[in-house]
Amino acid sequence: MSGRTLTKATAIAGAVAVLTSGCLSSGDKTSSGDKSGGTAKATVEIMFGFGGDQAAGFKESLEPWAKTNGITIKYVSAPDTFQTLIRSRVAGNNPPDIGIFPQPGLLKDLVKQNKLQPLDDVLDMAKLQSSIVPGFLDSTTVGDKHYGAPVDINVKSLVFYNKPAFTAAGYEIPTTIDELMALSDKIKASGTAPWCIGLESGPASGWPGTDWIEELVLKQAGPDVYDKWVAGETKFEDPAIKAAFDTYAKIALTKGNVFGGAKSIVSSSFQTAANPMFTTPPGCFLHKQGNFVTQKGFLSEAIRAKIDTNLGVFAFPKGAFDTVEGGGDSAALFTKGDANVTKVLKAITEDPTFGGAWAGPSDRGFISPHKDFDVSKYGNETTRSIAKIAYTTSGIRFDASDSMPAQVGNGSFWKGMIAFTSGQQDEATTLKKIDESWPKS
Amino acid sequence: MLKVINALLAIVGGVLGSLLLFYVMNKVVERLPRKWEERVKPYVFFGPAVLLIGFFLIYPAIRTIVFSFANSDSTSFIGLTNYTDLLGSGDFVSGALLNTLLWMIVVPALTVIFGLAVAVLADRLRPRAEKFTKSLIFLPMAISLVGASTIWKYVYESRPEGTPQVGLLNAILDKFGIAPVAWLQLSQAHANSLLLMVILIWAQVGFSMVLLSAAVKGVPEDTIEAGRIDGASEKRIFLSIVVPQIWATVITVFITVLIIVMKIFDIIYVMTGGNFNTDVIGMRFFTELFTNGNNGYAAAIVVMLMIAIVPVMLYQVRNFRRQEAQR
Repeated sequence: MSGRTLTKATAIAGAVAVLTSGCLSSGDKTSSGDKSGGTAKATVEIMFGFGGDQAAGFKESLEPWAKTNGITIKYVSAPDTFQTLIRSRVAGNNPPDIGIFPQPGLLKDLVKQNKLQPLDDVLDMAKLQSSIVPGFLDSTTVGDKHYGAPVDINVKSLVFYNKPAFTAAGYEIPTTIDELMALSDKIKASGTAPWCIGLESGPASGWPGTDWIEELVLKQAGPDVYDKWVAGETKFEDPAIKAAFDTYAKIALTKGNVFGGAKSIVSSSFQTAANPMFTTPPGCFLHKQGNFVTQKGFLSEAIRAKIDTNLGVFAFPKGAFDTVEGGGDSAALFTKGDANVTKVLKAITEDPTFGGAWAGPSDRGFISPHKDFDVSKYGNETTRSIAKIAYTTSGIRFDASDSMPAQVGNGSFWKGMIAFTSGQQDEATTLKKIDESWPKS
Repeated sequence: MLKVINALLAIVGGVLGSLLLFYVMNKVVERLPRKWEERVKPYVFFGPAVLLIGFFLIYPAIRTIVFSFANSDSTSFIGLTNYTDLLGSGDFVSGALLNTLLWMIVVPALTVIFGLAVAVLADRLRPRAEKFTKSLIFLPMAISLVGASTIWKYVYESRPEGTPQVGLLNAILDKFGIAPVAWLQLSQAHANSLLLMVILIWAQVGFSMVLLSAAVKGVPEDTIEAGRIDGASEKRIFLSIVVPQIWATVITVFITVLIIVMKIFDIIYVMTGGNFNTDVIGMRFFTELFTNGNNGYAAAIVVMLMIAIVPVMLYQVRNFRRQEAQR
């Protein structure tokens, strides 16, 4: 470039720089979306992280209510990409009115940025505390304020099996982890791989592996260690957590334990990983997964048609402790002071009958967070028994990787499980890397 | 229907609006005394475009550079910490950075070589066969890299042993009774990265071939004749006569593909999500910005990429200028 053109270009760039550079984000001390009270929007926008049948069920449950109340609902479904989309919407100052978060960690991240409204004055907290399964409201609490209320929950401490094949082989349901390991060895001795495990899930690959570790931490180390672990006080390299990884390695990485071998786990989609259970002869006998595995797109339609006779389920056996692990989607509020937005939020969180159309007759992977939900609404006995596990347990803990800060829970922990399970990284390096990725603030 | 009407209105409105703007500004400037009119007119015409470019390109770029010195939610300055953290972390240097360098070395070179090979060989065919071959090779350029990745997913896909193999490579192995290989997980000797590079090469060879074919055809026939008369072998003619004369085009293709490679993201995101040691700078930027919500790291990564690309682009511009001057 000639000297003069270069000087001119630098001058222009410099001018722009001076005009804009000094400014950083103001840190947004006041909550955004602060439309001071008294508005009532005609259209309320809800963004959620599930798709397929779950989204259809949600819409079917909410639409009749919306019509009766004269509110138009705009549904934005973002399965797999929820965290990316919600961050860019928030950064672009264009958040939805209500966000239904699959991960409390992400929700808490946004609370730290002052983007979400506390719900203590918006919802009837006392009523919720008594109606909702204990443990879920705590997962979205920051300080002493509540920022989320569950819309649906799922139970993760479950092991599914092929009922006819299992009973025919004469196996018994284990009640302790030791019995589970013994059963697993027995199945292996008979010539079949005992477990079917799949970790693949597109950009979210690795999360089923984190469910395994969380289950083992909860059952072997107990809920107190679990809570400290989620808060970052107990490190991954702590012996209690390492023990969980050791047990996982014993189950998943031992030769002959998993259908397709350990190498195939990370490329096996979590949705279809259970299917080899139902081949003749069965390729495996046990599959640990959340209750949502019963919806369409996971198990084959033939199996789903007669799900109560085909599919058996038992609670993951207890170790030294018996706490149950669960997950779910929590609704959070972006828009303050709008009468209609508040109405919609109350309808999906406070109403113990919400989700009746979603629960059945066809199974769409829905379990209501309310203990007094009418269980006859669920489409099959399998879901009913799973719901009962949730409603009668005294202690439930939310999925840890969903509650940890996003860069660990959705980042290094997921990737760590992939690297460890595929044999790329040894256990010590995996634990160290995850600990290193924990945010400093 | 409404959306189509909106789109048409936007196009018509945009074009007519711009025309109107320039017409009005021109009329206004014409009213000024002669001397002023001469001075101001050029600015009036390129002013709006420069302002828009400044606003949508330069301003965000400068802001990103500023953010690279700030913390993860951009509320306070922390100096060079982002850079030292990233360059000090073995994960970034021996992971994303090393992989990107590998891509930069392998892909442009192979794209040029394959493009040249096809250009030269197709040159020898009859015109119809030549057109057909070239169209086939050029076809992959029509699809996005995400589309290309989806196609190649079906080539590399691996299912557990014993289940039907959907991926092409594993289906072939299956026919020979060999156990399926998880191709995208083979990180020994960066084998999986090389497999991903194949996708980009496949998509870019068409571009390379078209440019190099034109260059090869542009080599004067007499120079080649002279070589043949002197008794040189075909290989010698190619290397000593043809290649030096098309070198400018080779450089152009190399640099263009190099710039594309440095920014590559979609292929890695779709195929492996950055797992199994296939991480590159573009993918890492995405992870830092959207998964980790760390503006500081993301900005620092992108600034480093920009610093690396700017010399390459300047060289490219100078190259173009030289070629234009030669016309």
